[in-house]
Amino acid sequence: MTELQNNSVQEIWQSQPVEVTKVSVEELRRRAGRFERKIRWRNIREYVASLIAAGLMGYFYITAHDVASRVTFALFIAAMLWIVIALHRMGSARRTPHDVDTLTTQQFYRAELERQLAVVKNVWWWYLAPMVPGMIGCSVSYIMKPHHAATWAGLAFMNALFIVSFYGVWKLNTRAAHCLERMINDLNVATQ
Amino acid sequence: MSTKELVSTIEIPATTSRQDELYQEGAATYGAALERLARAYEADADVRRDLLQDIHVELWRSFQTFDGRCSMRTWIYRVAHNVGASHIIRQRRNRADTLVGLEELENLPDATSNQALDRNQALDRLLQLMQQLKPLDRHVILSYLEGLDAAAIGEITGLSATNVATKIHRIKNLLARWFQQGGKSND
Repeated sequence: MTELQNNSVQEIWQSQPVEVTKVSVEELRRRAGRFERKIRWRNIREYVASLIAAGLMGYFYITAHDVASRVTFALFIAAMLWIVIALHRMGSARRTPHDVDTLTTQQFYRAELERQLAVVKNVWWWYLAPMVPGMIGCSVSYIMKPHHAATWAGLAFMNALFIVSFYGVWKLNTRAAHCLERMINDLNVATQ
Repeated sequence: MSTKELVSTIEIPATTSRQDELYQEGAATYGAALERLARAYEADADVRRDLLQDIHVELWRSFQTFDGRCSMRTWIYRVAHNVGASHIIRQRRNRADTLVGLEELENLPDATSNQALDRNQALDRLLQLMQQLKPLDRHVILSYLEGLDAAAIGEITGLSATNVATKIHRIKNLLARWFQQGGKSND
């Protein structure tokens, strides 16, 4: 008779030799703090970058001499505020609750990934489209300025810059969307 | 050295909060179960060490909101399994292995040999079996092996009592087949 036949599989599993990991509370606090700090800094970076850009636009607004330029900078400031609010409302990652069962956690995680996917897929509407009025205003105010010789070349360069920036933002978000789709697919394969 | 003796060497600062005390109690009681759980989720010893650290950090963090509405055991298993499941999903991106459900595993032709197994071989085979399973089924089989009853497994996983009963039935058949012991495993 083998040894296995004298023991249940459960007993073999539970009596396997294990060396219990020792983690001090200080170490746990340090690791958890490091994670929280990383998240906090990421958020601060995003808000500070937006505030600096809005501040810069505010400065240009104050120092601008013509109405068209002022309207343009005001439109950019409004767009930036809109983006910050949209980012705050839609983009903030929600932490998985601890007091729920596995199935609920999986549903929450999937819903969170799908929500983030919708955010990056709709980047045209909440990030790029609000910049368009400012961009048009910028072109209009440029045309209205009395430096005719450089107007068309300068205007073309400025608009090309806008288009390249828009393309860059769209491309980054498309890449993020692919990554999220892969994560959702992995989650589906692993859980369904 | 027993589990409790090992865990009692954890350093706790002079002023401990309720969160720290709950963690300390949970780690002392379920420390060994968490080690076994990590083995079922990760075969590589180095990666497993990181996984265990993540489980402990998440557990400690979770006790900030522990309100006693479920037992500490249920809470700990929920948190630990969720970290384990996230780990599997993350690792899947780097590994080509396919995870299967209990039903699929049950229908696969028996690839195991008929030779009698000693404890170490049985343990290796058990780990091999578990590491093929999808997170939820791995969760159920682990809880079963830890001796949890169907009600507790349902509470941790969110599966209905009927679903848990079906899965346990399948687990027993699987274990009987894999270990050639004629379904002698306990409930």
